[in-house]
Amino acid sequence: MTTVEAPRSAELSDPKKTGIIDSDVHPNFVNGIRDLIPYMTETWRARLGVSSDDWAKGMAAAQFTLPLDYLYINSAGAYREDAARPGMPPATDPDFTARHLLDTHNIYRAVLIAGQCLGIGSMPDGMVAATIAQAYNEWMCERWLQNDKRWRGAICIAPQDPEAAVAEIDRMAKRDGIVAVFMPLGEILMGEKHYWPIYEACARHELPLMVHPSGTENVFAKAPKMAGTPTFYLEWHTALGQIHQSNTLSMICHGVFEKFPKLKYIIVEGGFMWALEVMWKLDRDWKGLRNEVPWLVKPPSEYLLNHIRFTTQPFIEPHDPKHLAPLMEMLHADQVLMFSSDYPHWDFDNPDRSLAPLSKELRHKIMVETPRAVYGDRID
Amino acid sequence: MTDTIPEPVTTPRGTRHVIDKLENFPYGDRRVVTIDGRSIGVLNVGGKFYALRNNCPHAGAPLCEGVVKGTMDDTPVHEYRYIRHNEFITCPWHGFEFELETGRSIVDPQKMRVRTYEVAVEDGDVVLYV
Repeated sequence: MTTVEAPRSAELSDPKKTGIIDSDVHPNFVNGIRDLIPYMTETWRARLGVSSDDWAKGMAAAQFTLPLDYLYINSAGAYREDAARPGMPPATDPDFTARHLLDTHNIYRAVLIAGQCLGIGSMPDGMVAATIAQAYNEWMCERWLQNDKRWRGAICIAPQDPEAAVAEIDRMAKRDGIVAVFMPLGEILMGEKHYWPIYEACARHELPLMVHPSGTENVFAKAPKMAGTPTFYLEWHTALGQIHQSNTLSMICHGVFEKFPKLKYIIVEGGFMWALEVMWKLDRDWKGLRNEVPWLVKPPSEYLLNHIRFTTQPFIEPHDPKHLAPLMEMLHADQVLMFSSDYPHWDFDNPDRSLAPLSKELRHKIMVETPRAVYGDRID
Repeated sequence: MTDTIPEPVTTPRGTRHVIDKLENFPYGDRRVVTIDGRSIGVLNVGGKFYALRNNCPHAGAPLCEGVVKGTMDDTPVHEYRYIRHNEFITCPWHGFEFELETGRSIVDPQKMRVRTYEVAVEDGDVVLYV
């Protein structure tokens, strides 16, 4: 007979002190963009042709898809097979998803990011992207955030149109369950002034800014640039850190964190070990090149350590397990890492297993303390 | 002239080395000399003389071959302000800047610094004390 050990103190069972926070879950549409039609104005339905009786427009609308990783065919299926049920694609049913993810792994709060809107930053028309983002936000609030109090949401915005993005952040910031802003990436590097109004709004509302891969990278003209267009999913998926390295360097060197000292930036599923070389090399070169960026009054690595956080999935698996602890120490993992599962995707990280090789103290920082510090009171 | 200026008693002047006649050492000129195995640069920056070890503490570059210039002030993001023209020497390898007067680097003035020496003009000679 199995006995369940009772918590030794009240503190152990206080979710505010021990509850796992998952910073990367993707809620999906059942019928693609058509799920968003109820959340669009009549004008925009007409503009997109999504509710028209006109045969030609209807035909076009039926084939209207959001830019995503359709061109990279994941041979492992891209989704957890067990997240799907007959007639129900993965992460489309909030009840089933809550049971399957949150109950199974005892997750206290999970942050929902964008679903199939991950790639709207590469859409040519920023007004269309902003309309889709706005409809997605309403859909997420109504279908997910109001369904289970454990869900938390990131406001989706269109990076092509900073004015519309700021208006959307202002409109959504005080909604129940909102804990972050998710910015789909576009072709312009993130340090550039183009984005500064968005950063101002994030800092003003004290909402961390999240970014995430989309599969549009280097495939669509306005998508983030990689060094060439990878042929294979394996190649693409392993190389995603390129984009985040470039954006991290751009933000630090442009002085974004001097300009917006309250801004927090979360790189979701973008890797993190590359940050070591970026920190070391930036600090080394800055000593000789600071005249180019005299507004950086601290060694550049300090901006990274103070403002940038990385989610853990897919977690690293060094060939020799004993290398993990020194790597974590070098990275300041106790300060910069936040747990994520990436449910329902194929490379899901199980909170009970993926971080098991780490010390108990470090796991607690990564799964509880650091995300709590980043999201603040909104997480409870 | 020199007779009328008393020697500062608190400054240990070290060994006296005549580098050259002042008339042969114009503005902008610099000499690198080796004294007791130490390479030392003597620079005439607009009539003011400086001397410092010709060895960058970062990676051992010949520091005194670097460019003498000012630096960028700490400014708000995307603003530049050039200040203190000719008060710094820039290492020819990695660009670290050292204050000529004190030998202290800008980025790490406490730990990263280079030895400086006294230079005087005495009876028309440029004199280095080591």
